[in-house]
Amino acid sequence: MLKVEDIQLSFGGVRALQGVSFEASPGEITGIIGPNGAGKTSLFNVISGFYKPDTGRVRVEGQDVSALKPDARAALGIARTFQNIALFRGMTVLDNIKLGCHTRLNANVWSALRYFGSAQKEELELRRDLEERVIDFLEIDHVRKAPITALPYGLQKRVELGRALAMKPKLLLLDEPVAGMNREETADMARFILDVQEQFGTTILLVEHDMHMVMDICSQVVVLNFGQQIAQGTPAEIAQSQAVIDAYLGQAA
Amino acid sequence: MGQFLQFAINGLMSGAIYALIALGIVAIYKATRVVNFAHGYVIMIGAYLYYTFAVLLPAAPWFPDLLFTPAWLVEAKASAQMFSPEAAWLAWLEKLPRIVFGLICAIIGSALLARLIERFLMRPLLGQSNFAMIMITVGLISVLSGAKSMIWTGDAASVPHLAPNPALRFEVFGSKVFIFGANLVSMGLALLIFAAIVIWLRRSSSGVAMRAASEDQSTAYSMGISVPRVFANAWVLAAATGAIAGAILAARDGVSPALGLFGFSVLAIVLMGGLDSFVGVFISAMAVGILEALAQWQLGGDWVEITPYVAVLIVILIRPHGLLGQKEIERI
Repeated sequence: MLKVEDIQLSFGGVRALQGVSFEASPGEITGIIGPNGAGKTSLFNVISGFYKPDTGRVRVEGQDVSALKPDARAALGIARTFQNIALFRGMTVLDNIKLGCHTRLNANVWSALRYFGSAQKEELELRRDLEERVIDFLEIDHVRKAPITALPYGLQKRVELGRALAMKPKLLLLDEPVAGMNREETADMARFILDVQEQFGTTILLVEHDMHMVMDICSQVVVLNFGQQIAQGTPAEIAQSQAVIDAYLGQAA
Repeated sequence: MGQFLQFAINGLMSGAIYALIALGIVAIYKATRVVNFAHGYVIMIGAYLYYTFAVLLPAAPWFPDLLFTPAWLVEAKASAQMFSPEAAWLAWLEKLPRIVFGLICAIIGSALLARLIERFLMRPLLGQSNFAMIMITVGLISVLSGAKSMIWTGDAASVPHLAPNPALRFEVFGSKVFIFGANLVSMGLALLIFAAIVIWLRRSSSGVAMRAASEDQSTAYSMGISVPRVFANAWVLAAATGAIAGAILAARDGVSPALGLFGFSVLAIVLMGGLDSFVGVFISAMAVGILEALAQWQLGGDWVEITPYVAVLIVILIRPHGLLGQKEIERI
């Protein structure tokens, strides 16, 4: 589904990513872990098109998307959430989620004038789809009209997930979806992520520091350390890997 | 009371033009977070383009006689009484083809100029600090005013009004009020454009895209909104409305390089209304227009230049983000 091939990325003297390669299987959750500054978010930015890597390719369903701009990649079905909540704070929950459909609305002013009916039908269908697939699904029906700033942190994170889901993504990049959440909120979010995978068959890439969650829900894990890919495998394999233990706990002298 | 009404109306009419100019500054700021110091000079170029296509070119001997005046009009005009409303209407009708031609060309020319500025001066700096882009707009002032002197002479010239300009007299509350037709139409035009744009921002998907990009560029980008296109749209919108404002101003005050300076006073109005709020800027443009007119009435011409701007300063001191500007809250 997603294939990342030998990504090298540097900022001046800092080599943020050094030859990262992996493949995320369709319909599965792939975790990306590593200590702070390991290059996880840089990798996300390469995949969603914000950073242009020095070498390497990104393929989605076999198509090379390396040359595409972020908006074109979004149109291909790559959606993401951000580490720091990046909702549009001046808008309501519903407006934020509707913005996720931006790529899916074909009607513009001219076509809307010409085919008034079809634009209306498009909008209605989209609305129904959003109601079922995003708002009911994520249980955020009660806050739909609320301004973002009025919501507690955990709920804001869920709305951000909802906005990404509204894009009907094939590939969903989640950047620390449970950072700063308590145990209960984390469990809720993990359940939603598993539901997304199960019901929509979305391929998910997950950057997260919460090891319990990663080990529980990922079928494959990639470990980065100082921009290098030091391990890849099932959660059980990763837990046994000496390189990973060294990276996290420090090497014995 | 009658006097007050007269000056208040005059104030509203100049306020509407301020609003039309301010619109461009706000559009660019909202989309790109760049304060365009050169907006007044973009407007000046728009005014000169209008002058070129509505006055200079049709007068050139080689220009095809497409914008001719029918003979009956010439006769009617000759027989109409001087300074009568009929004469004003006929004078306008006679020039109408040129006015339309000039305005359309000015809008297209300004939009092209904006595309060029956005594509070659602004977009390469995307992702750099905003300060760099703002400094570019400052540099643009010299480039545009230099280009203007290279292409056009420095003499002030007059251009036709966009609308017929008879003097209209009304009786309101038992007192006489006097308005020039062209000013009234300009005000209506400015209000209409302003309203259309506010509705467009609220309702259309490209308007929502602009609002999203203004709040958070990278998120908007990752939602599938083409941020560079939003930037280009904002510049084109600013230049097109600026061309209309330029044509209105040029007809009122004459085309001259001084039009560029107009942008700076409007910048103060924009700061008062809130850089990112169309509605706030509209209110402050009207308020400054009225204040100017009332200062003229009560305090005399010397005070016109400073009174409104003292008010602007006071508002900014009390509300640093402007009347309706969005406060940026930073978490520490």
